[in-house]
Amino acid sequence: MEYVSPEGLRLDGRRPTEMRQFRAEVGVVAKADGSASFEMGNTKVIAAVYGPREVQNKGQQMNGQALVRCEYSMANFSTGDRMRKPKGDRRSTEISLVIRQTMEACILTHLMPRSQIDIFVQVLQADGGTRSACINAATLALADAGIPMRDLVTSCSAGYLNNIPLLDLNYVEDSAGGPDVTVGILPKLDKVTLLQMDAKLPIDIFENVMQLAIEGCKAVANYIREILLENTKKLEFRRGV
Amino acid sequence: MEVDAFRRLFPLRFHERHLLESIRPDGRPLGRARDTTIALGAVASANGSALAKIGCTTMLAAVKLEVMTPKAESPDEGCIVIDFHMPPICSPLVRPGRPAEAAPVITKQLTDIILSSGMIDLKELSLVSGKAAWMAYLDIYCLDADGALFDAALLSAVAAFSHLQIPVVSLNDNGRIVLLSEENSGAMWEKEPVNKEKRKLKLDTLPFSLTCVLHKNYILADPSAEEESIMETYLTVVLDSSMQLVSLNKPGGPGLAQTSAIQDCVALTIQRVKELQKILNEAISDMEVD
Repeated sequence: MEYVSPEGLRLDGRRPTEMRQFRAEVGVVAKADGSASFEMGNTKVIAAVYGPREVQNKGQQMNGQALVRCEYSMANFSTGDRMRKPKGDRRSTEISLVIRQTMEACILTHLMPRSQIDIFVQVLQADGGTRSACINAATLALADAGIPMRDLVTSCSAGYLNNIPLLDLNYVEDSAGGPDVTVGILPKLDKVTLLQMDAKLPIDIFENVMQLAIEGCKAVANYIREILLENTKKLEFRRGV
Repeated sequence: MEVDAFRRLFPLRFHERHLLESIRPDGRPLGRARDTTIALGAVASANGSALAKIGCTTMLAAVKLEVMTPKAESPDEGCIVIDFHMPPICSPLVRPGRPAEAAPVITKQLTDIILSSGMIDLKELSLVSGKAAWMAYLDIYCLDADGALFDAALLSAVAAFSHLQIPVVSLNDNGRIVLLSEENSGAMWEKEPVNKEKRKLKLDTLPFSLTCVLHKNYILADPSAEEESIMETYLTVVLDSSMQLVSLNKPGGPGLAQTSAIQDCVALTIQRVKELQKILNEAISDMEVD
């Protein structure tokens, strides 16, 4: 099947190095300490952060640092066919682990010993790139909660179909069987914290695809910084500063 | 002592001080509900969906239709399955791994009320008598829990069903029902479509509800989570659009409600039902303009 037309347009009309439109909003869940919603094209996720708060399971309490927990779940109606088991299945457990380890790397946990930070991510609509959207939403939610972090974490995916590297795959392109490279970076420090790939790819082409994904991450980082700046200005205004 | 500290340490006294002035901490008079909004079509991939907000309480409801074989004793009827979820994002009290206590209770209440109110005639969900019918899965997700969960859930469920559009399907050669999408509907005219066009469900009377908290002699309509946690007991009244009583629920609790209190609650609910009907009709007509 042709994923890139001879004129160089993908199935949804984008160019190969064009990302989907993204939209983010901070403070969507009033009850949470920090929350955000992030949309990449048709993929919509909501992240809520509760913490730092008292550890619920005293056996897991750590004396030197904060405990970070993460749960990823998909709504039943998020995918094309209704999902039977949105939480305990293997994919959700794996993604929860991945998000936890990615965010743990950038939170300054030693500043909040004996406490717990909960990151909950809920996917409302899934159209490829849910992992990346979840990490971006979690970053915004952590920033909204005021939790100290080393840097933002942003994530984006890229693939290789019809011999062309493609940025930000949607569900159809993802299920095409080609490689899917997901990258998560700390943009200011220029470090890679998350790198996952499946399917086969020659090493030199892999370098290109990974670079493309990193460029995508940097674009997301710029957008997230704008959103946080706007949010801070609004808070300043409300406080009468 | 600072107001915030007083509110946290002595919540009952804080609220009672306000009740003496016939007002609540957020400035509402006792009988008024919070600002309510409904947005239809919030989930593009579902057959019908709605996002309902009462104050900060947010509910996202979506209906997905699947084909199934109807039961032998009711070959002309489809089926509705309702599920209410409280994911951990909605409240600091919900722990992952342990589902919230309120979730299955609200699921059961919603199922009972939606099926018993006669809002949907299950015969409308039938496709081919005895062979195929629609199973409607209604999933409601609480995205923010700030009191009056049942009211918001029922509102979003009713709005989602008002938005529901049944897709066009046809019977293919193997005797299975196949979805006709817009691209190949032209090529498929050899197969007779089972239903001619996307249609909306014919909804009879819509149920709406109001939860009132009863505390000593006060009746507070539409409580927030803080009010629910400290007050004595509550009463939920469900009326349908023809002002008939569909359901009453007062789940125990120390306060003994005299019949006058119950009638006051019903009167508040009647007002609220009129408000909600207006809001829902506005949301539907906004959708149609688009």
